[in-house]
Amino acid sequence: MASSSVLDRFLSSLADFVKTRDGPKLQDFLQIEPPLPPIYTQMVDELRQRYPADDPQSDAALLRRCEALVSGPRSKGGSGGSGASTWTAFPTFVKLYFTFLRDVNLENLLETYNLLKALVNQCVLALGDSQMGVIVLPTVLYLSKVLAKLAMGLDRRPELIAHLLRLEGGSEENVEKVTLVEKSANVVREAFIKCLTDRSGTPGVHGKPEGKRLGIYLMANLCLKLLFQCGKLRNAEQMFASISAQSPPLTYFPASQRVTYLYYLGRYLFSNNLFFPAQIALQAAYDQCHRQALKQRHLILTYLIPCNIIMGRFPSRQLLERPEAQGLANHFVPVCRLVARGDYIAFRQHLAGDSPATEWLARKGVLLPLRNRCEILVWRSLARKVFIHGGFHGDPAPQASRGPPPFLYLHKLEAAVRWLQSQHSASPFKPLSMNAKPGNQPSHSKYGSQIICKPADPDFAGLITNASPALPTPPAETAEDPFSKYADYLCPEGYFDAQGTYRANAPGTLVDGRLDTDYTSLELNPYPDRPDQGGETQESSPMMDEIESILASLLTQALMRGYLTHRNPRFAIPGARLKGALPTGFPPVWSTIYARERDDALVPGWVQVPSPESAAARANPFAAAVAGGRVVNLSGARPAGAQ
Amino acid sequence: MSNTTQSTNQAEASQQPQQQKPPVLEEDDEFEDFPVEDWPQEEAEQANGNNGHLWEESWDDDDAGEDFSKQLKEELKKVEASKQ
Repeated sequence: MASSSVLDRFLSSLADFVKTRDGPKLQDFLQIEPPLPPIYTQMVDELRQRYPADDPQSDAALLRRCEALVSGPRSKGGSGGSGASTWTAFPTFVKLYFTFLRDVNLENLLETYNLLKALVNQCVLALGDSQMGVIVLPTVLYLSKVLAKLAMGLDRRPELIAHLLRLEGGSEENVEKVTLVEKSANVVREAFIKCLTDRSGTPGVHGKPEGKRLGIYLMANLCLKLLFQCGKLRNAEQMFASISAQSPPLTYFPASQRVTYLYYLGRYLFSNNLFFPAQIALQAAYDQCHRQALKQRHLILTYLIPCNIIMGRFPSRQLLERPEAQGLANHFVPVCRLVARGDYIAFRQHLAGDSPATEWLARKGVLLPLRNRCEILVWRSLARKVFIHGGFHGDPAPQASRGPPPFLYLHKLEAAVRWLQSQHSASPFKPLSMNAKPGNQPSHSKYGSQIICKPADPDFAGLITNASPALPTPPAETAEDPFSKYADYLCPEGYFDAQGTYRANAPGTLVDGRLDTDYTSLELNPYPDRPDQGGETQESSPMMDEIESILASLLTQALMRGYLTHRNPRFAIPGARLKGALPTGFPPVWSTIYARERDDALVPGWVQVPSPESAAARANPFAAAVAGGRVVNLSGARPAGAQ
Repeated sequence: MSNTTQSTNQAEASQQPQQQKPPVLEEDDEFEDFPVEDWPQEEAEQANGNNGHLWEESWDDDDAGEDFSKQLKEELKKVEASKQ
């Protein structure tokens, strides 16, 4: 009777699949995710009867049954069969599979997770076998997906296991907690490495996907999904580097794997500020994605669009009207409009932390790149408009070949900035224009940025107004000053005497007597060498310094072309006779960035079919691209005192 | 570490019934598996051959009649006048 039991039949089927190396069938039998077909319930009943969990002999007996799977007569004496009998990881895995089915308690999802993780781990060990491992590849993928699904589900519904984690928690305050999602990513990464390092056939970039290498991108994509979910993108870097070094070309893999991989790769590059290669990867993902896969196409666009905006390429109306772009226009079109308008304060307000527009952008992880990278484009627009309306455009007479080049007095840009500040001081958004007084003459403090006004940190409130008049301290006053200024130190309410006893101190009494200290020399002045620049007669002002910095940054990035003069500050556009001042001085952003980046079209992490000339460049594309300069951040242009 | 604090908070918050919403939003963020494994490139392209113009490379706003430009122009005129 025993031979006709479900368990026996199940085991003999598994043995057949191992013999015929039928991975897909093996996976099909090793079902784990509820609801399981009734036959599995029957098998679980048998397991509980014949190998009960509370019998210490059960596991060993069950393992012996499973060992027969790989030491059958055929694999023992057969050709090349010696590998099979050393495949000890497989019987251990199958035994774990049975005990999992027998013991799993879905009431305790944390325990379920741990059991499942142990099962996947063991399956990955079985995958490691150089001859037989490939048979469990489909099973590893299937189980990993179930594990990922459970981990991500619990990540979204933490209340399901919060009470169990609390029980487990105890005194591990100092230990860095690794989330279930991250733990799962680590397991899946092991499987990925086993696939990538398969030495059968032709390995590396010249090989075709065969054997375990068929699973490289399946495992990589699952691992990336988990890493993105738990926010540990940095852990993906090694994966991309290993893929660059060892994977067959991506193009040999099925479209679903290619698109998914390019999506994650693009997002990874995007989050590392490598916008140009990110754009290539995301555009390729979009171009290769099935046209009916609207959800996936929508997600790709969610990152492809901001990536392009940052590099000065805005989504066309045609693109935004596609069904997969539904809803995206609401988030991105206002940003594009503000960039083109040139009102940097409105741009900042739109993307400020408390603005309703930012919630979605922040959740998608594109807010900070947009805010930090697009502001320089806003300044380009503002400078361009001021030039249009207030610049010298060159002598219009066709004969005038010797006149001065077109130029813009920077005091006009300064006036435009002050005008913008006064405009916004009248608006309900106060915080950015705190220092602006009513009327058109905003009065500024001498410290910090003149371009951006933020409310003072409460900890430092009052510091500026007190410090400003006190700076050129007249020496005559110093004798009295310390006692009012440092009273809390010199005349405290109480002190500890030599015996360590606390003594109260009468108000105004010097605890240490009169000291010969010259307090003026100890005065803490954060701006000791700053010359007084308040005078109307001087050409330069702190705001002009900032404007010059910003324009210099634009020129360095070639987003504007020409030169600056510092004395009598001007931006001049030489060589504009042929094309005109505007196209020469303010070339389109995208064409500038494209011209700079196109020669370096290698996307780190994306393995291409090797061509003879690219062999040298492929040596270490990852490091090369990371080292290459990309869009420069505006923050470098701010003077040191900026708030 | 912060993850754990957050999850505890969420756990407490989610005792309330209206907390069903965030998970739904999160699900949108997930790049789902494709229902088919492979497809020819033709199936990736737009059915109506509409693959053309996706990106605007010149977006400079040269409409002098637009409010912002108009006001800026006025303002710069004032600056010019005050210098003379």
